[in-house]
Order: sequence, then structure tokens, then C-alpha cells
Amino acid sequence: MSAVIEDIRLQPAMVVDDVVKRFGRGDELVTAVDHVSFNVQQGEFVSVIGPSGCGKSTLFNIIGGLLGDYEGSVMIGDERISAPHPAVGMVFQEESTFPWRNVIENVAFPLELQGVPKSERMDRAHHFIDMVGLASFEKNFPSQLSGGMRQRVSIARTLVSQPKILLMDEPFAALDEQTRLLLGDKITQIQQELNQTTLLITHNLTEAVQLSDRIVVMTYRPGKVKRIVDIKLPRPRTSDVVGSDAFGHYVAEIWNDLREEATRGMADSESAAARRGSHG
Amino acid sequence: MAKSASQSSSQPSFFFRYGPEITGLLALVGATLVFELLVRIGVVNRFVIPPPSDVILAFERVVVEEDILGRTGATAFEMIIAAVASVVVGVPIGAALHRSALWRRAMEDWVGAMAAAPIVLAFPLFLVLFGRSPKTIIVMAFFHGLAPIILKTIEGLSGTRKVLINVGRSLNMTSSQLFWKILFPSALPVIFTGIRLSWTFVLITVVGVEYLINLGGLGQLINELAERYDLPGTYAAIFFVILVSVFFFILLERVELWLRPAR
Amino acid sequence: MAATGEMKAPARRAVAPAIGGAPVTARAVLLVRVVVALAILAVWEGLSRSGLFYGEVIPSLTRIVASLGKLLVDPVFYKNLQVTALETFTSLAIGAALGVVTGIVLGANRFLMRAFEPYVYYLSPTPRIILFPVMIMWFGVGPASKVALGALSAYFAVALSTAAGMRQIDAILIRVGRSFRATGWQMATKIYLPAMRVPILNGIRLGMGTAIITVLLAETKLSNQGLGYMIMQVYTRFDMPGLYAILIVVFAIAGACNALIGKLAREQV
Repeated sequence: MSAVIEDIRLQPAMVVDDVVKRFGRGDELVTAVDHVSFNVQQGEFVSVIGPSGCGKSTLFNIIGGLLGDYEGSVMIGDERISAPHPAVGMVFQEESTFPWRNVIENVAFPLELQGVPKSERMDRAHHFIDMVGLASFEKNFPSQLSGGMRQRVSIARTLVSQPKILLMDEPFAALDEQTRLLLGDKITQIQQELNQTTLLITHNLTEAVQLSDRIVVMTYRPGKVKRIVDIKLPRPRTSDVVGSDAFGHYVAEIWNDLREEATRGMADSESAAARRGSHG
Repeated sequence: MAKSASQSSSQPSFFFRYGPEITGLLALVGATLVFELLVRIGVVNRFVIPPPSDVILAFERVVVEEDILGRTGATAFEMIIAAVASVVVGVPIGAALHRSALWRRAMEDWVGAMAAAPIVLAFPLFLVLFGRSPKTIIVMAFFHGLAPIILKTIEGLSGTRKVLINVGRSLNMTSSQLFWKILFPSALPVIFTGIRLSWTFVLITVVGVEYLINLGGLGQLINELAERYDLPGTYAAIFFVILVSVFFFILLERVELWLRPAR
Repeated sequence: MAATGEMKAPARRAVAPAIGGAPVTARAVLLVRVVVALAILAVWEGLSRSGLFYGEVIPSLTRIVASLGKLLVDPVFYKNLQVTALETFTSLAIGAALGVVTGIVLGANRFLMRAFEPYVYYLSPTPRIILFPVMIMWFGVGPASKVALGALSAYFAVALSTAAGMRQIDAILIRVGRSFRATGWQMATKIYLPAMRVPILNGIRLGMGTAIITVLLAETKLSNQGLGYMIMQVYTRFDMPGLYAILIVVFAIAGACNALIGKLAREQV
């Protein structure tokens, strides 16, 4: 279960070591994350994939520091994460732009908290808005943007604080397939441009293979690491890679692992629904 | 096993479970006792705030001597006529406005303005038009209650899910079948929200105008007791009206919840 | 860099045409409104001339307009308007301040919410004017009792709206703030307050509506100044055109205030 050791060019950006998280107490105790270990190298793109209910979101909250009470350790350098850490920038699954701020004010938000002077923060915000391709929408409010554009605002808002590690929780979950592919392109492009260390939490297989250098496959409840797969697709990459044979092989291989977990998850949710039905 | 465990744990935790509600109630009782004390030791003038015990005693007098039940009946009578009339008139108007996009866009804002307008303030006008009789009160309450029903009827009908309408069309339903079998049932919970708002306005208007023009049921009772400087009686009557209104609102809310489709 | 595959949402939601209906143009809407308004005025004038109503009950439009003109140049009107405006403003300021504080306390604390919010909630729609005798005993027959009653009416609307607004803040926005390590003060000023601006302003709008009505009603009941008092004076004189004129002005002022705060609440969001 220990981390697969990569060629040790550099110290890992982040080490997740034997993390356990349980919820509830007594008979109701549920283990959401069960002895999970892996690491993320500098500049690497790692995805954590698993069926719903594998503890992905819990892991996201632990690494983001929003869930401080857990066993094991998530280390950045020699600091154990127990509260939001400046080195980690989070992008949430839900729509999380501030409706009362326009695009540039949204993106400048973290800099505002740090007390960066106005002209500087506008410049820096502008740079990242340009990077996500929203330069002509700076003065628009979120309500005037599509879902995909809003999610790009969230990504720019997180990038502007220049986190060492970009941590994303299914940022494209609410989008349609085509938008998702194109946004994936954008993410790959930005990641390669900034050499941005990224950890993506997802349940989408093609998305994970398209974007990642490595994929951590998790089991359904309790969430353990089932396998870690190296994705040796060439870089720089674009969404064209989706058509290649190698891509298909990776997808098939990982689906092989995931199918069993997803099946268990589905059976569980069906029996839960049946229980609810007989009660109501 | 799980059942017995939950029972044994729920028994001692009654106070814990309803702690907030009990605290709220105790705070109310406590405040009453503090007032009683302040009045009795003379910190608060008993001609400003009568001792709560006097108010409680005055309840009996108000019920027996002032015929509060008969007055409640008079108020209720005015309310029922206005309430029924606002539904009977409001729902068809709302349905008609919903049928025509043009009329709806032209009139919806006006109805909205009517809902927000201080109609009660026009009571001198209604007095001139309808005389010093319950008719005035009923007509005013009716107008005040009309707008919310029209607005919510439109909202409810136009909130019908498109797919349900398509189901109806696929079955070749006529437009009147479509209305009675699909649009109206789907709109009913929202329409009842309108009715709840409307009838709340009706109550406020009836009691308020009764008080202002010194005519009719409960509102007039408060006015008369106040003019007689019967302080405990005035307070008792006010509390009675508040209790009756709260009871009425809770009842309306229950019916609304009951009508809401199970989710 | 183009926003491929993504559509900019239309700024204003178009009103869907009714089933099978033709598209509605702004001109047609305006036309209907003008026709309806003219029809109402024509019926009014007709009734006024028909002689069906006793004397002055439905005065002719020209006489109402004349009264309106006279009222708008009458210094007495402005003196009374000032009194009522001041009473309303003071009552709204007091009621809204207390309401916002109550709302934040009830919205932030579940225990206090369960303990006290039912009382605020169920008292809020009860008829307020019946508390006027009590307010007179407490605050006298002068403006203070009107202010107190107005404040009481505004209080409930603001408190309930603020409490609900606080509870409805999207939890994700709070997580965003925490993920960027915002301090407590930054959370309050940059997330909670802006997120609650709309519900608080809506509460103030509702509160202002009831405060205006309540203050005016209290003035009609017992006072010697203010627009409410003026209404009763005109009524006692049986000056019907004057009564219509003053009611039109009061309704217009109330509507304008309502629209103004409504616009503030909608701005930028």
C-alpha cells in the first residue's frame, strides 16, 4: 500500500501518508478514507479516481485543510496539513463564484485578502483571466456567464494566489461532455505553461486519462488505494489524445479496476433506495 | 436492539431535545414575571403597563361582559366574505391573464403594485362610498386580498413543468382538459400560497379597519376599551386578537403544507 | 481563446410566449396599458357625470386634477409631508437597526433561532395598528407613538429577512473564504455582508412599506399633524376631490420609495 517510488528527481510536492478518516460513532461508524497513501511530484498532474462514495471528497477536504481532524498525515514540505495551507489552492465542484463581484473582482479576491495594492492585484488578476480565456468578460457578473465560464473564473481565482499545488474537486462535473473536453485542453495548456503541480479529484475516467501523469484508483467504501497507474501519453498533450490507441488502452485498463467498485457502489445505493422505499 | 437503545436515550433527553423551545417559553414567562415585579414595586407605572396578573384576570371580564365571542363572530363573518370573494374573483383573473402573454405582461406589474399599495389608508374614501357599515370593511379587505391570489395563480400556472404539458398534448387533450387535468392541479400548491398571503391581508385589514373606524368586531373592542382607559382590558383584548391571528396563520400554513406534493 | 462551445447567457430572461401565442412586442404591451388606463378613466368620468352617485362621491377627473395641482403648491402639504417623512424615516431607522441585529443573532445561532424565531415569525403578520393604544400609553400622543409603532412594524420584516438571508448563504462561498484563509473580519465584510445585502435590503423594503402605512394610519387615528392627519381633515370637510388628490400623492410616494429600494436590491446582482 506504500507509495510507488518514482524516479527521485526532486522532493515530492506533497506526501499523503496513511490517511484515515472515520465519521460517526459507535455502530454508525463509517470509514470514509482507509489508509490512503500516495505522493505528488513537483510539476506532476495526479488524478484520484473512484466511484461515488469512495471518500474522494473527504480526501479533498482533508488535503485542502477544511477537515482538520484525521489520522495519518498530509505533508507539504515538513508541515502537516490541519488547516487551509497557503501552498494549496482549491477549486470546488460547486459553482463558487461570488455573485456580487464581477469577473476581475472575483479573481482578485485572494489578493485582496492578502492586502495586495489595487493596481497590482488588478494586473495579476488580468493575467490569469487572460490565461483562462476570459479577457473580454472582465466586467461581467457571474450571472451573465455560462457554467463553464464561471468554473474558469474559479480556476483563475485559485491560480492568482500562485499555489504550489492546485487541488481540484470534479471542477467539470456540472458541464456537458464537449465543454469538458475543451476545458480539459485549457487545463492541460495552463498546467504545462506554469508547470503547475495539480491534484484532480474526479469520477470521470476519460478526463482523468486525458489530463494526468498518474492516476490513483480508489475502491468503493471504505476508500482505499486500489492501484496507481502511470499514464505515459506524450506531452505536450491536447484533447486529440482521446482518439489514440494508447488512450483507449489506459481507459480499458482502469475501467477494469473500477468496474467492480462501481458495481458495488451501485448495488449499495439500490439497496438503500429499496430500504427507503419500504419505510416510506 | 437499536430501537430500545434509541428509546432509552430519548427519554432523559426530552429537555435536551426541546431545550431551545423550552428556553424560549421560559424567557417569555420570565419576562412576564419581571414586569409583574417592576409594576408591583413601582418602577413601572401601572397606568402605562398594567400588572400581567391584572391582564390575565381581565380576560374573564372581557369574555363575559364584552361578548368577545360574538365580536369574534362578527369579525369572522366579514373575513369569510372578503376571503371567499377574493379567491372566487382572483383565481379566474389570474387564469385569464396567464392565457394571454400580452395581457399578462401588460398587467402583471400593475397587479404587483396593487399588492404593495397601502389600500387600508383609503378607508375614508371607502367610508364615503359604502357608508359606515360592515360593507366598507368587507370591500376593503377584498381588494387588499385580491392581488396576491392573482399573482400566485399566474405564477403557479406558468410554473407547470413543460414536460407535463407535452404529456397532455401527446394525449390529444383539449385546452380545457389541459387546464383542469394538468395546469390547475400542478398550480394548486402555489395558488394556495397566494391564498395564505391573501387571507393574512384580509385579517389585517378587517381588524385594522374595525379599529380605525370604530365599527364591528374585535378591532372595535380594542378601540372602545382603550377609550374607556380600561388598561388591563385593552391589553387582554390585544392579546386575544394576537392569539386568534396566530392560530389562524398556523392553520393556513398547515393546509398549505398539506397541499404541497410529497417530495 | 474564444469561448468555444459556451454561450453567454442572455442578460434578460425573455418572457416565454403562452401556448400557441404570438410573440409579444413591447409596443403591444404599451398599447394595452394605455387602452386599459384610458378605459378606466373614461368609465370614471362616465360614472361621475351619470348622476348615479350622491353629489361628490365620484368627482369629475378635471376637478381631481385641479385639486392635485392645488395640493402640490400648498405649503401646508409640504409641512405635513415633512412630519410624516421624518416619522417614517426615524421609525425605519430604529426598526431596521434592531431588526438586522436580531436577524444576525437568530441567523447565526440555531439554539436562539429555535427558542425565539417562532415568536418573531408568527407575530410579524398580526395587525400592528391595534397596538397603537398601547404605544400611546407608552410614548404619548405626539410623534413618538407613531415612530414606535412604525419601528415595530419594520422590525419584524427586517429581522425575518435578515435571519433567512444569513441561513441561505451558499455554504460553498464560506468554504471558498476558508480555503483562501480569510480572517474572521474578512469573512464578515467580504462574504457574509455582501451575500446578505439583498435579503437585508428586501427586508428594509418590506419594512418601509409597512412603516409608511402604519405611521399614516396612526396619524389618521390620533394626531394633529402629518399626511394622515391631513387625510382626515379633508375627509371631515367632505372635500372629495381633495381626498382623491392626497391619496394619489401618498400612493405615488409609497410606490416610488418601494421601487427605489427594490432597484437598490437588484443592482449588480
